[in-house]
Amino acid sequence: MEVVVQVVFGLIALFILVAAAMVVSVRNVIHSALWLIACFFGVGALYLLLQAEFLAVVQVLVYVGAVSVLILFAIMLTRQISGEGVRQLTSRWPVVLVVTVLLFATVMAPTLINQQWNVPPAPPLGTPEPIAGPAELGRGFVNEFLIQFQVVGVLLTVALIGAIVIAFEERARRRRVLTLAEELELKRLRERATQTETPEPVEAEPVARETRPASEG
Amino acid sequence: MTASPFEIEIPRGRVIEVQRDDTRVRRGTGLLRGMAVIWKHWKESFKLNRSYSQIHGTFTIEYPEERPRIPEAYRNMPILLYDDETGHELCTSCFQCERICPPQVIHMTQAKDPATGKPVPAVAEFIIEYDACMSCGFCAEVCPFDAIKMDHEFELSTDDHLRLTVHKEQLLRPISYYAHIAPTMWAEVREGALKKLQGNIRRRPDVIGLAPQLTEKIAARRAELAAQAAQAAQAAAATPAPPAAPAAAAPAPAEGRKLTPEEKAAKLAAIRAANAAKKQQSGDGS
Amino acid sequence: MYDMLAALINGTLGWGWPEWALNLLSYILVVTIVLVVAPLQMLFFTYYERRVIARMQDRVGPNRVGPEGIWQPIADGVKMFTKEDIVPQAADRIVHFLAPCVVVAPTVLMFAVVPWGPGMVPVDLPTGLLFFFAISSISAVGLMMAGWASNNKFSLLGAMRAVAQMVSYEIPAVLSLIAIVIVVGSLSINDIIAYQTGLIVSNRDLPGIPDLGLGWFVFTPVGFVAFIAFFIAALAEGERTPFDIPEADSEIVAGYMTEYSGMKFGLFYLAQYVLNFLLCAITAIIFFGGWQGPGVGWLYAQGITPENPNGNGLFNVLAGVLGVFYFLLKTYLFFFVMVWLRGALPRLRIDQLMDFGWKFLIPLTLANLFSAALWVAFTRWGPAEGMLITVGWSPVLRWLAAFVVTLAINLGVYLWLTRVYAASQAERRRAELEELIAAGS
Repeated sequence: MEVVVQVVFGLIALFILVAAAMVVSVRNVIHSALWLIACFFGVGALYLLLQAEFLAVVQVLVYVGAVSVLILFAIMLTRQISGEGVRQLTSRWPVVLVVTVLLFATVMAPTLINQQWNVPPAPPLGTPEPIAGPAELGRGFVNEFLIQFQVVGVLLTVALIGAIVIAFEERARRRRVLTLAEELELKRLRERATQTETPEPVEAEPVARETRPASEG
Repeated sequence: MTASPFEIEIPRGRVIEVQRDDTRVRRGTGLLRGMAVIWKHWKESFKLNRSYSQIHGTFTIEYPEERPRIPEAYRNMPILLYDDETGHELCTSCFQCERICPPQVIHMTQAKDPATGKPVPAVAEFIIEYDACMSCGFCAEVCPFDAIKMDHEFELSTDDHLRLTVHKEQLLRPISYYAHIAPTMWAEVREGALKKLQGNIRRRPDVIGLAPQLTEKIAARRAELAAQAAQAAQAAAATPAPPAAPAAAAPAPAEGRKLTPEEKAAKLAAIRAANAAKKQQSGDGS
Repeated sequence: MYDMLAALINGTLGWGWPEWALNLLSYILVVTIVLVVAPLQMLFFTYYERRVIARMQDRVGPNRVGPEGIWQPIADGVKMFTKEDIVPQAADRIVHFLAPCVVVAPTVLMFAVVPWGPGMVPVDLPTGLLFFFAISSISAVGLMMAGWASNNKFSLLGAMRAVAQMVSYEIPAVLSLIAIVIVVGSLSINDIIAYQTGLIVSNRDLPGIPDLGLGWFVFTPVGFVAFIAFFIAALAEGERTPFDIPEADSEIVAGYMTEYSGMKFGLFYLAQYVLNFLLCAITAIIFFGGWQGPGVGWLYAQGITPENPNGNGLFNVLAGVLGVFYFLLKTYLFFFVMVWLRGALPRLRIDQLMDFGWKFLIPLTLANLFSAALWVAFTRWGPAEGMLITVGWSPVLRWLAAFVVTLAINLGVYLWLTRVYAASQAERRRAELEELIAAGS
């Protein structure tokens, strides 16, 4: 089974890398957003391979269901409706590629060569696998990682409030078409405002009484 | 037509002003009341609703198994009328309907007396183009003889376009048919129409003006005319004296009414015979 | 399915297939059944909706195409297959083509975790409920793709409204389900159904109750409020009236579906009805016991189960039939309520819709979460978790205390929230009108 796992991992990793490469190289911004979504799916598949089902499902729920939608909203609301983008790759891309790989190797090589990978030995047959489900995650959140949990919560709340503050428009600047009921109420409020300014209680009554039968007749 | 009546009662002249107070907090009970209304509608919809005054019940008329009752004044495509007893068409080819028809789909030619060539108050050929007729009913409104009326037949779909140019034979319907579909409207005009028809019958010679599908009536009338002609010939041969000719004209105008064409022809023949006899006498005498 | 197949092939027929073959065959059979049943349900639902809404509108509904119009959905399908597929010239062809697929695929994937009867779930995921909602959130991306790729401002606007509505109402939906998950202690749908045995009160809370399969969550205060909130949120997720702004013909033509014709429109239509079926099914499962009902538990216990491999296969079939019958009865009943709401209510404006979701449903479901935690505390916790008050209480007393406390909290929060929400809406209207007066005069 080890070989199958390695092959599947290789395929998923290849898919993720290809999708990520497409994100930065397609012309159309919407297409690159869609390739990013494919990348997220790939990462979710990796989580499944690591037997972290809860994380895989949450990855899909949060990244594909919410973050991608946010990205798409941001793109669609801020760009003109024109499909063509600017070509991302210059003509000297082989040189750029070589330089990038060398830099990356310079950073990663010492780590890869000198690190002692702490791969634990395979447990003896028959031991039940530790279940890392939502219950364990929850307990971790309120016991060991309480501070981190609360900080993330505060961060999210601050972001939410900030979004509301940024998007809040003064009501007076919003003009919209009134419904019929709103127009009638507006008229009544205006009449009441003008009547309180010029008080004529004696004549106001018969006017009111005359107009009502007219509307009922 | 369905046997069950389908009436509409519309109360007119009542305006209800609804004051909506939005300040009451209903906490969802308003939604439940709305749902209760619709539940009642759903429950009651398994019965039939045959009167527009009720609001519950299904009022779908499942065409073509059920038909709606068509009101009398419904108009769709004109038809011509002929009298049941005498068999005569009411149309006199006065051209009023042809003049007033907005899309000009009515065409007719007037019948002529075969003997004299004079126009006769009957119609020889009558054509309506049903495909362009807009069923406005102007022709029925304007006809002075109540000869053309609006039919109720609306299932006229066909894939044969030429069939929609309809001729007189297909347009004719007996008065009993029209009285059946629009009794009140026919009762209003019946007396006048029949009176005018009697007048017109008298002015129509031979079998002109009889509905062509009534072959027996046509044959009977022809036989009658032949018998009359034979009688007249016999009378003319039996009594050589012209003053005896008035005997053939005895059924003639004692009351001062108009003469039928045959009577006119007989009278003309009698006058000619009298003139000829007078000439002979004067010729003999002198 | 694997157990039944093993018993059938290796036991009764004695062919002795290897395990992998049995696994493969069982999965193929299950997938085939699910892929056949899903569109059939959708077809039946379109017919069912049209007949029921017609009766509510005092008319008859389609009854010509077959006996009482049964083949009407087939006629609709033929119509959609044969219509010309028109793609706007300036549209993004690939995205336009993929959008219906991205909308439909998640809805069919969601069938994988829905149990139809005892032991009849295609894949028994430990995180089944979360999988259900995670996959349903993928169709929001498909909607945006559809709106964008049509190269049409109104489609884009409709798509954004639809996605805003869908994403906003996922929150109260998931929050109300989390209250149930707190009570059950597991995200697996089978566990949630298995919890709802008993009679009015679940077996797990009071162990002495006879098992009639009627210990549904809707009979608890926590479950009842969660049911109301979830059902409203499900109406909004499935874009049913009163939340059908994105697809209302009189509002924005067909919204994000405007530029789609023929089979692509058919796929959107299919996705909508399948999603509504699944939401009704999940309502039935989580709050009304799913396939639980009088007799199913007892029948299943006598059949072949993982605990009882020597049972009688006939009982499996009987339990399955009865379980599916109960499940479908409840699901169709909820769809009747959805159609009933469609017949009764006018639709909400987009701003009213968003207000209702964010300012009313979310606070309500958050308060319900709190109540759910109190329920678990009263019924299960002891001094070890800090509940010193329930030391020495009998299960009945604990259940009664939990019921009363959660009922008080939920009722109080609901009454208070409705008053606050109504006041805030009225205040907003009045403030707008006064500002308009001030601006005008």
